[in-house]
Amino acid sequence: MNLNTAKNLIVRNALLGAAAIILTSCGTATFTKTGSDATIESLRSFHLAFIDEFAVPRKRFNGAAFDARVNEGDTKFQQAIANEKFTARRPVLIDLKAQFDADAAHLRSKASHGKVTSALASEMKKDINKIYDHALGR
Amino acid sequence: MPSDDKTKHKKTRKSELDSALDQVGDESVAAATKEFQDLLAQAKGDTTELIRQNAEELEQRLLLLKEHKIDKEDFDYFVENQKRDLRVFIDSQPAQAQERAEKLTLQLLGMAATKIAPLLLAMI
Repeated sequence: MNLNTAKNLIVRNALLGAAAIILTSCGTATFTKTGSDATIESLRSFHLAFIDEFAVPRKRFNGAAFDARVNEGDTKFQQAIANEKFTARRPVLIDLKAQFDADAAHLRSKASHGKVTSALASEMKKDINKIYDHALGR
Repeated sequence: MPSDDKTKHKKTRKSELDSALDQVGDESVAAATKEFQDLLAQAKGDTTELIRQNAEELEQRLLLLKEHKIDKEDFDYFVENQKRDLRVFIDSQPAQAQERAEKLTLQLLGMAATKIAPLLLAMI
């Protein structure tokens, strides 16, 4: 093997190695982002189900059930934030949790005074879907 | 595009909200109402989807308030939600576009909450 062939082999192997590293890291990033999207969709489902459960006109307010569901939500959001591997998504999850907290506070105030209307529930769900769509970059 | 026939028709037709606000007789608030209506029309015809969407949502919520389907507390809550969502959008705009975007979104929402909503409630 002459010197030129040996040099070419080294360069080729180095390029192949670099390409492999790039492909692997891209694959990991895509996998992480897909997992992160699934987490956000799961939080959206929980958030919407929470509205469906408590934003019901003329339904008697059950404070204990409401608190239990809010605590469940807090745990879900906190876990999602702590487990998020896609670091750019952490502030987004924090914003989503802030929205959940704000919705829970507003809904508690309305439901405990029997002031829930169907328009309130429908507009709340519209805002929830919008914020999750924006979180997913849609 | 704002120049198509559908949009022209939309622009010339009076909205339900416009019809309600046109009934304002008090001259001291008529100027503010007109300013709001102009700004809302401008936002609804904007080429940026988020600005248009925000204006349409705001208009719909003012109508829900007028019809007593939501109360002022709910209305203010939704305005705050919209503002929170829009701040991210405005911050992402180029510096020269920020002032205009802010006027067609945050300023519009502010006017709706402080001037138009109380006016609609007083008319009922």
